[in-house]
Amino acid sequence: MYVSNCSTSLRAQTNKTRAVYSLIIINKAGGLVYQREFHSGLHKLSTNDYLVLAGTFHGVHAITRSITPRLPLASTTTNPTTASHSTTASLSLTSPSGTTTPTASTPTASNNPNNPAANTPSSSAYSYPIPSVPASGLEFLETDKFRLTCFQTQTGTKFLLFTDPFMANIDVVMKKIYELYADFVMKNPFYQLEMPVRCEAFDRHLGSWLRGRI
Amino acid sequence: MSSTTKTARIGEELWKTRVDKVNAELVTLTYGTIVAQLCHDYDGDYTEVNKQLDKMGYNIGLRLIEDFLARSNVGRCANFRETADMVAKVGFKMFLNISPTVTNWTSDNNQFSLIFEENPLADFVELPDDGRAQDELWFSNILCGVLRGALEMVQMQIDAHFVSDVLRGDDTTEMRVSLVRYIEDEMPPDEE
Amino acid sequence: MAHPRHGSMLSFGGGPNDTATAEKPPFQNAPVPTASQSSPGLRVPSNRKTIYDRHLNRSRNAELSRASFAFLFSEMVTYAQRRVTGIQDLERRLNEQGYPLGLRLLDLLFYRTIAGSSSSSSSASALSTSSSTTSSPPNRPLRILPLLHLIHGPLWRLLFNRPADALEHSVSPDTPNEYMITDNDPMVNTYISVPREMSMLNCAAFVAGIIEGVCDGCGFEAKVSAHNQPSEMWPGRTVFLLRFGESVMEREKVLEKAGVK
Repeated sequence: MYVSNCSTSLRAQTNKTRAVYSLIIINKAGGLVYQREFHSGLHKLSTNDYLVLAGTFHGVHAITRSITPRLPLASTTTNPTTASHSTTASLSLTSPSGTTTPTASTPTASNNPNNPAANTPSSSAYSYPIPSVPASGLEFLETDKFRLTCFQTQTGTKFLLFTDPFMANIDVVMKKIYELYADFVMKNPFYQLEMPVRCEAFDRHLGSWLRGRI
Repeated sequence: MSSTTKTARIGEELWKTRVDKVNAELVTLTYGTIVAQLCHDYDGDYTEVNKQLDKMGYNIGLRLIEDFLARSNVGRCANFRETADMVAKVGFKMFLNISPTVTNWTSDNNQFSLIFEENPLADFVELPDDGRAQDELWFSNILCGVLRGALEMVQMQIDAHFVSDVLRGDDTTEMRVSLVRYIEDEMPPDEE
Repeated sequence: MAHPRHGSMLSFGGGPNDTATAEKPPFQNAPVPTASQSSPGLRVPSNRKTIYDRHLNRSRNAELSRASFAFLFSEMVTYAQRRVTGIQDLERRLNEQGYPLGLRLLDLLFYRTIAGSSSSSSSASALSTSSSTTSSPPNRPLRILPLLHLIHGPLWRLLFNRPADALEHSVSPDTPNEYMITDNDPMVNTYISVPREMSMLNCAAFVAGIIEGVCDGCGFEAKVSAHNQPSEMWPGRTVFLLRFGESVMEREKVLEKAGVK
């Protein structure tokens, strides 16, 4: 629901540039800690709606993870089901215009080579390397107007990037954002973990890096 | 090529290409001034200083792990032995430009030692000759906390402590690391 | 200041100049050992390898990760914050933590300047040069300007791999004892965003403390503070204000008359 709300606002953006629209960061507990638009023409949601969006996504993410098929651990040696490591869940929403054209998740999408979780050299040899390794959960949502890509770090923080659906190399952008976060949020003594991110240097570097890309 | 060698190469490569550098002496002296301040604040109670250093390290570890993950791009380790190599050959390499030796595994693969040939934090350091520091102070104890904090964030509860230190007159500097448990990811809410 | 400034550093090994500044080691009964003999009370590894067996220049060009510095510095700020009453108090504490670094770095700078200017790079020649009282003119600054150049150039390069960005003298006739060193983008502040309600704070007070240590160690009593002077291009621009004590200014006049540079 809230996701399509958001897309409605994004439709106002007629600019066809392959753009990054906005970024949301969700902490381990599902709380919204950062939200920022990168285009001035965007219709903003209320703060409360953003909080709900973050919480809802967090919940859906957990559910998609919990419905991931789990294969018996004991079978790793006898039954090398290599496909089982692909715990990626993908979900397609109908476009906000109401036309029910479910975007079929393409093979490239579900086997996203840029998915850092599936990209580990070690994980390919194991179906479930250690019991504590969580399934990845929802990684992207797509409408015909925008794409939401979720990157969950191994520590449980989620970066949600709203982009043009045709934007390429989202993983590069995501990786850079994570680095900037590691630098300007994590190394800031005035930032308290799990709390809202109010770091002027993070805003500044994020903004100038994204501007510089285009 | 062994997996340890492979991991070591990842560390080398990251150090060369992905790590911003500063003068080593600035880091060494800054750490020294932190320890000295604690000794001053806790009035030479070295047990308390060890505790505070561990706590500081823990706070650093909780944050440092994000830098480690963001820059190294490495995936999850399949087991604790892999974790040990990752810590020694990639983690320590990235942050301190050293690669301690991983050794003395217990048979259940849950405990190992890190042997430090080099320790940049302790460069230039001589402990106070007060008859106590060499018996009580673990000068580099912050490293134990860093490991504990960083691994906790990737779902491993560990215990880490020094068992010897050349600053104390020992022949080696050795840290013992034990896996306490893997922290289960929060279970999906079945029914409430 | 009431607190014992020289008393907050562990006894670090030093070069041949180690005892030159005659600062007291912080812990009672901790004599500063000379290079040839380790203090008898301390145990050493069976290979007898101590810090005195390693060349002081071995870390000269060594590098460590900038992230490690940032995390340590961040934790230093966090720790200091737990024990202070306000922004000024916090800056004072950071200053105090930098001060002993200044004292140590001064020795290191002199040692290296001497070693670097002598023809040989071997440690033996460096040692003999510095221990001999007759050779090489003192490169210890006697006047304010050479001291400031030492800070602006060699000290900044040692710490941050580049010189500071500007060096100025106060234009006001009321404050001839005030000098300013500018850093457009202090390395220690790179990752730090100060909360709005603390906007006066500048964590480079730590660097101000380092400068103060260098000045005091040279015999130039001074108070040094860090101030935000942002410009559009340099949002983190910081001015270090050095205020020399009266005795220093008086001596300066005498030396000027005597033609000492």
